[in-house]
Amino acid sequence: MDAVTYPNDRVIRFITENMIPLRVAFDAQPLSADFNIKWTPAIITLDPDGNEHHRTVGFLAPEELIPSLLLGIGKSYFETDQFDEALGSLEKLLGEYPESGSAPEAIYLRGVCRYKSSQNPKPLKAAYEQLAAEYPSSEWTKRAYPYRLL
Amino acid sequence: MTENIKWETEIDAALALARVEKKPVLLDFFNPG
Repeated sequence: MDAVTYPNDRVIRFITENMIPLRVAFDAQPLSADFNIKWTPAIITLDPDGNEHHRTVGFLAPEELIPSLLLGIGKSYFETDQFDEALGSLEKLLGEYPESGSAPEAIYLRGVCRYKSSQNPKPLKAAYEQLAAEYPSSEWTKRAYPYRLL
Repeated sequence: MTENIKWETEIDAALALARVEKKPVLLDFFNPG
């Protein structure tokens, strides 16, 4: 991460504009125990109250880290019932990084956000259909499979 | 050339900033080697 990803200009700009970056050694206590850290790099998205919403373990290239962070931001909004804000992050992820490993989960979560903010189940079916067409082997396509019947 | 990431090193300070700036925290556990 230090050699490739964190020195990347787009990564620096994204993190500076969108997040508060906090770096801690893997064995620093009590945080390491609090977050059950067993391997590095472990990259976690917290809300301002310190609650965890997203975690990745292992190296991420710049073109994967930024969408992963957008997904984490989206999940932090979703899990605090801020659906419009969550949709903003997810749409940015899908618009700018459709090839990233985070995209299928973002499509799934976008469908759930749209459903929760409208109580209309059609976005869930639309999410499945997009996943089946564009990411047929993704685990998120399998998770959305029941929505084909809506 | 963009400046480097300005990492916080204490969680309490990071969370306080997060509340003021209304931003989530990126918490990176790393191996200093």
